[in-house]
Amino acid sequence: MLKTLREILRTGNATAGYPFEPLERPTDARGKPEHDPVACIGCAACAVACPPNAIQMKIDVEAGTTTWSINYGRCVYCGRCEEICPLGAITLSKEFELAVMDKNDLEETSTYKLQACAECGRYYATAKEVDYATRLLSQNNGGLEAQQAADLTGYCPACKQKADAYRAKRRDETMRYRKPITSGGEPG
Amino acid sequence: MHMAIDSKLRTCETHVLAVQEKFPYQIKETQWVSEDQVCITVDGDSAPDIIAFLYYERGGWMPFMAGNDERQLNGHFALYYLLSMEEEDPGYIHVRVEVERETGEFKAVSPKVPAAVWSEREVQDMFGLKAVGIIDDRNLCLPDDWPMDVHPLRKDSMDYRYRPMPTRELEDYEFLKDTGDHETTTVPMGPLHITSDEPGHFRLYVEGENIIDADYRMFFVHRGMEKCAESRMNYDSVPFLAERICGICGFAHSTAYAQSIEAAQGIEVPLRAQVIRAIILETERLHSHLLNLGLVCHFSGFDTGFQHFFRVREQSMDLAEMLTGARKTYGLNLIGGVRRDILAEQKLETLKYLDNLAADAQRLVDELVSTPNFINRAKGIGILDPKVARDYSPVGPTVRGSGFARDVRWVHPFAGYKSIADKHEPITQDSCDVLGRTLVRIGEFTDSIHIIQELLETDLPEGPILNDRWTYVPHRYALAATEAPRGEDMHWSMIGDNQKCYRWRAKASTYSNWPVLRSMFRGNTLSDAALIVGSLDPCYSCTERVTVVDVKKNKEQTLTRQQLEDYCCDRRHSPLEI
Repeated sequence: MLKTLREILRTGNATAGYPFEPLERPTDARGKPEHDPVACIGCAACAVACPPNAIQMKIDVEAGTTTWSINYGRCVYCGRCEEICPLGAITLSKEFELAVMDKNDLEETSTYKLQACAECGRYYATAKEVDYATRLLSQNNGGLEAQQAADLTGYCPACKQKADAYRAKRRDETMRYRKPITSGGEPG
Repeated sequence: MHMAIDSKLRTCETHVLAVQEKFPYQIKETQWVSEDQVCITVDGDSAPDIIAFLYYERGGWMPFMAGNDERQLNGHFALYYLLSMEEEDPGYIHVRVEVERETGEFKAVSPKVPAAVWSEREVQDMFGLKAVGIIDDRNLCLPDDWPMDVHPLRKDSMDYRYRPMPTRELEDYEFLKDTGDHETTTVPMGPLHITSDEPGHFRLYVEGENIIDADYRMFFVHRGMEKCAESRMNYDSVPFLAERICGICGFAHSTAYAQSIEAAQGIEVPLRAQVIRAIILETERLHSHLLNLGLVCHFSGFDTGFQHFFRVREQSMDLAEMLTGARKTYGLNLIGGVRRDILAEQKLETLKYLDNLAADAQRLVDELVSTPNFINRAKGIGILDPKVARDYSPVGPTVRGSGFARDVRWVHPFAGYKSIADKHEPITQDSCDVLGRTLVRIGEFTDSIHIIQELLETDLPEGPILNDRWTYVPHRYALAATEAPRGEDMHWSMIGDNQKCYRWRAKASTYSNWPVLRSMFRGNTLSDAALIVGSLDPCYSCTERVTVVDVKKNKEQTLTRQQLEDYCCDRRHSPLEI
């Protein structure tokens, strides 16, 4: 009994003043993910990584756009999106007071224009992603191969594949013309 | 702690040889699935005898059995009876039994080894198999109104979003009752229960104040996580789902899952990551044990103690938040390591927290164990007979309170515990009662603090924290166990050829502890019921009301939660006398 009393007196008031005063959270606390729509290129890496599917991408072919969305009601604040984003366009803040009166307010969206393939006209990525890839490949330290790839960023993967196949075939024919295969062949 | 007798033999090989000698030609195939795990495929008819032999004569314990629908892979259903060998030559044995797809029948192991009973009931429900001779044939996971022909975990049965319509109104689950010639009154607790926080339904058969027998039913909130993981999630996002199995020991689950994939795929986890895992696991134990000590105070009517334990516990929550970024659901594990390092200043901060925690908790513990009221209340209550414990393989402080030194950390050292395993041993008590289990927790709390200090100060190696260079091989499987605060969490997983789990079987620690509760209730009084359940530190739930049924007078009376709880705390004004 005396021990208990002593402990009570020793402790004093242990209650935090929150919500009437702000709550101190540690430096690396994980809270609401903040999205920077300007830096974001809409590559969807975060949507793939997100374990609870809080981040989703929805393509609208009619409008030629894709919409990135996050639902804070589904978010588990794991921070996989932050880890995976190539541009640092999403970062976890310390904000944790996310209650809303209207459920729809839990969702945030950003819409990006899609790029149509210069060959077949099908949409294949967001315009910003293509632009980002082109700029990255055109940096002068990438060499010839990177420059060749940069020239082809305006084509969709399927058309690029076709072009590659065509080039390979051409090369093969030229080689054949230059050096006819002798019997027995050459050691490979 | 133990050494294999002949170093030329692989882990667990002595057990395989012993089985071969005792049951010639019954092992169809032997395969080591990882360093310390061997899988033997045995003939279905001799499986019960082989398992009983390994269990009782070779020092085996059975955490659970995992069923798997392998019809796409080899045309059979398969059962993996998992045995943890804890005496000579420690390791794990998967005893694999193939079940024919047409009949779906297999010879039940539970008549020989009762520890298998819940798992066998579960495969009957989830895979529609038939355990011939099972000691308890009732449904376990599926509700009474579930369509009889839908077995959720069969690969061809249903989508994970499917919610079948109830097929009938009738609830005919039969509660067991073995009361002899006693004239008893039935006291149901639940569908939601009075102590912690998940639903369970208890029926206590009382004569006056004394509990003659009891039975219970769980799985009211079966969330279908295994199905969800198998059909919707990628194998590498399952750690985040596993973490949500339990609100208290989530990290133990996500570590167990990650380790099971790592064991199956042969991924080498960087040493630093292993130690970080161990440190966080112990941090989790700190807050969990303080929570249970607080609850024990509450149930024995010492509410001031309850408040103070929870106040001190808050420091361990802050510690976890500082280290991982969140109070709970740390989100730290990936396959191959962890995501967040412990930095130099965090290390210093942690050590400071630990000093405060140790001092604060020690004062409260001294206060608790010197309170005669508490000792009177906990001593000799809720006896778990060691014989019953041996038959059912309970885990954690529950089994350690009955004198068995079962603790995954020191019996099968994993993660960061490997480097310090020779300096620690399981903390046990021989009194088998609520007091014993509480003292085990008190001992482990102090031990946890020492473990974190040791790991941080001397055993935290430099280096990377994640290994993501490994080759994905489909359909390999393994199990992994971690010691959660309530006992061993064990996960068995096999990944498929589509970046998803082909089968993921997660066992929470309390799953192993429920089956012994019936025997712990017997011979105690009604006012001890909540205290006994609380001493398991179970994961289940809290209710608003309790109905008391007097069978003789056919009279019903509903008590509020408060009435029953108050009665447990101060033991005056029995609700039955009202």
